[in-house]
Amino acid sequence: MSTVNFTIPVVTHAASSASDLSEKVTVKNLDFYYGDHRALKNINVSLYHGKVTAFIGPSGCGKSTLLRVLNRMYDLYPNQRATGTVRLDNDDILEPSQDLNLLRAKVGMVFQKPTPFPMTIYENIAFGIRLYENLPKPELDNRVQQALQRAALWNEVKDKLDANGLSLSGGQQQRLCIARTVAVRPEVILFDEPCSALDPISTAKIEELIDELKEDYTIAIVTHNMQQAARVSDFTAFMYLGELVEYGDTTRMFTTPSDRRTQDYITGRFG
Amino acid sequence: MDGWVSNMANMISGASSPLYHSRRRKNVITMLLAYFATGFGLIWLGLILGVLFYQGFSGLSLRVFTEMTPPPGASGGLLNPIMGSLVMTFLAVLIGTPLGILAGTYLAEYGRFEKLSTIVRFINDILLSAPSIVIGLFVYEIMVATMGHFSGWAGAVALSVIVIPVVVRTTEDMLTLVPDTLREAAASIGLPRSLMIRKVAYRAARAGMITGVLLAIARISGETAPLLFTALNNQFWSSNMNAPVASLPVVIFQFALSPYKDWQELAWTGALIITLAVLTLSIVARFLGAQSKKS
Amino acid sequence: MNSSGDRPVVDVAFQSSAAVSVAEKVDRAKVLQKLRLGDTIFRHVTRLAAITVLVILSGIIGSLIYGSIPALEKFGFNFLITESWNPVTEQFGAMSPIYGTIMTSLIAMLIAVPVGLFIALFLTELCPMWLRRPIGIAIELLAGIPSIIYGIWGLFVFAPFLQQHVQPFLISAFGDIPVLSTLFAGPPYGIGVLTAGLILAIMVLPFITSISRDVFEAVPPVLKEAAYGLGCTTWEVARYVVLPFTRVGVIGGVMLALGRALGETMAVTFVIGNAHRISGSIMAPGTTISATIANEFTEAVGDIYTSSLITLGLILFVITFIVLAFARLMLMRLNGRLGQ
Repeated sequence: MSTVNFTIPVVTHAASSASDLSEKVTVKNLDFYYGDHRALKNINVSLYHGKVTAFIGPSGCGKSTLLRVLNRMYDLYPNQRATGTVRLDNDDILEPSQDLNLLRAKVGMVFQKPTPFPMTIYENIAFGIRLYENLPKPELDNRVQQALQRAALWNEVKDKLDANGLSLSGGQQQRLCIARTVAVRPEVILFDEPCSALDPISTAKIEELIDELKEDYTIAIVTHNMQQAARVSDFTAFMYLGELVEYGDTTRMFTTPSDRRTQDYITGRFG
Repeated sequence: MDGWVSNMANMISGASSPLYHSRRRKNVITMLLAYFATGFGLIWLGLILGVLFYQGFSGLSLRVFTEMTPPPGASGGLLNPIMGSLVMTFLAVLIGTPLGILAGTYLAEYGRFEKLSTIVRFINDILLSAPSIVIGLFVYEIMVATMGHFSGWAGAVALSVIVIPVVVRTTEDMLTLVPDTLREAAASIGLPRSLMIRKVAYRAARAGMITGVLLAIARISGETAPLLFTALNNQFWSSNMNAPVASLPVVIFQFALSPYKDWQELAWTGALIITLAVLTLSIVARFLGAQSKKS
Repeated sequence: MNSSGDRPVVDVAFQSSAAVSVAEKVDRAKVLQKLRLGDTIFRHVTRLAAITVLVILSGIIGSLIYGSIPALEKFGFNFLITESWNPVTEQFGAMSPIYGTIMTSLIAMLIAVPVGLFIALFLTELCPMWLRRPIGIAIELLAGIPSIIYGIWGLFVFAPFLQQHVQPFLISAFGDIPVLSTLFAGPPYGIGVLTAGLILAIMVLPFITSISRDVFEAVPPVLKEAAYGLGCTTWEVARYVVLPFTRVGVIGGVMLALGRALGETMAVTFVIGNAHRISGSIMAPGTTISATIANEFTEAVGDIYTSSLITLGLILFVITFIVLAFARLMLMRLNGRLGQ
């Protein structure tokens, strides 16, 4: 079974016409509340497998909020709730019965600021793997190496796996966090302004990485940098004041936006 | 005439008007008071430590650590109260630390937004400064009165009641300092809360939490009032925690108020030992605390 | 998988293209099941530990009330207003220990509050940066010295010094002034209410200083800069900007220190003299609630005697509880305001 399955996606990726798109995450009629404040208003959007979807918009427009609904991160805090449906494959993740840990293992997240755990580089990666799998040491080493390679960090850290994760530079820390996320083998990866705390060179590396990762994952990225959205994404969603104003193919969004507000934002008239 | 003119000119310019003068004078006086107050506060530290070292050092010898407390008129040491204090402190920390850390964890993590936490936090802060003699009465009632005799166990429990609020408070404070993004990052790879707390938050807050335990030890190693009618006193070393056990503070209390010169000298030596221990602990704790804030 | 009915080929392909195989997913669920059980247990254990704090408080109150019953049954409300304390006739009243407790704390606060505030002012506004930390640490070390050390020092050093040098001077200086002459009536014992109050003042000074310093430092710098910008002197900034802004915090700190002073045992027991009477002179020996308990509890014979001492403990706990609760409410109000 597995041999067959691994060959097909390659074929599908090659043909990138719209009819071949597979919806991985489907958001329908989503509203989100901080207490009484309605922060998201009737959002409808889909994330496709093998594609990068960017969410752009001025600060406070709800783009990060939307991202935090997709792995139910908001559940950590009181007085925050979402209504509507968010389907991951065929599960409604907003169901109260949804297993949050399982969901978050499937929907990984990379944050604005690098968040290495206070342990060694090796442990940062191995920690998540050990949660779900009881692997013998050589295999675990192998998986850690794979994850670090996937995040383009291996060559820089292979000689100091026992160093504290916090000893790395900002850009390296962020790639460590990506490696940590990848190591758990998620299906969807959410990036919440992953480069906002990084220098241009580190930013370029992360963007390159996102491009490589999209082969295997469904990716959503929140960014306030429009060039970044144009560079890394296949689809772009423009949000404004809690609403999803416009959503579509990135090239089209940046060349011929249909909504006036999108046009204003993209041309820099506000935001 | 000249003076009047220049005064007038100054008044108009405002630089040295009578009002300004009086304001400045007031400022100088109050600032002098502030210097004086600080000197006043620091003098006591010098006076107390000075006398303590002067009186305590003369009696400090190896015998203090190797011999039992003497009857009046004979010579001896402080071995049994030192051992008693160490054992009871150790037991109190053993009882109080896990309880305090778990409760602090609830306040900072699971129950952070719960009403229960608000109440517990409030009560804990009150217990933190509650009179320790009342804690002694409490343990007397629940342990000594019911078991019918004084015991080292009762002393240890009384001290642990003092340890708990200190550890609860520092654990909560230190865990609150752990940034939420780290919690979210842990959640984002599917970590259940308990693992996030034990493997990530505790690690990040470790130095601060150790500081809390050290401060708690410093606090109880000088406590006298809660031991007076729980552990009582014992002239000899007994390993039986079910019997009365001597402790350094209680022995100091007894010896200092006695009319015997030898006993009073030993009291000073004991006081010096306690003070050195407490000051060392709080300096180490402060150092660790400063380190934990840096990282 | 069962949902793939309408578009079988594509769906199978995409589900499996994710890095986790189906078999592995089942495993994950199992692992998580186990972890979740652990999580539930851990949550309940921590909750139980938090509740223990409440249990301790109720235990203290409950055991004190239980222990007080015999005395309260015998003396009733009169216990509070009776001055006599006679173990032989078993007549007990709390009046003089209560008076001593309040009097010593009052003396302590009268001295420690202004001095503490001025030190905090010095530390936040005047002190050069390099000196702030050492002085701050020194003041906090003063707070860390165990109370029994204050006691032994008070008994052997401070009380004799007062007796020989200060008290004779006070007696002669105030001898002709009405009111004050009673307050400072001789003879100079050395030990007594005044000595205990002074020692308490030294003890609570660091608490007031460090809390005031913390709240002073919490004043937004712009606020101070705005006042300095008007040409205010340091004192005026402190008096009209810093102090009003931090008033609730300072009151909270003062109440916290008062709570300590009221309940302090060892330092007072050494130097108060343990005399159950209310004297007009603050230089006369007296007693406080905590000193009475510390001195007499182990020697108390008979249920009524013991119970009377426990009742004293109950009174002390109630008073300090109210003072400390008030202090915490004040400090919470300040934090709430700073949080905004």
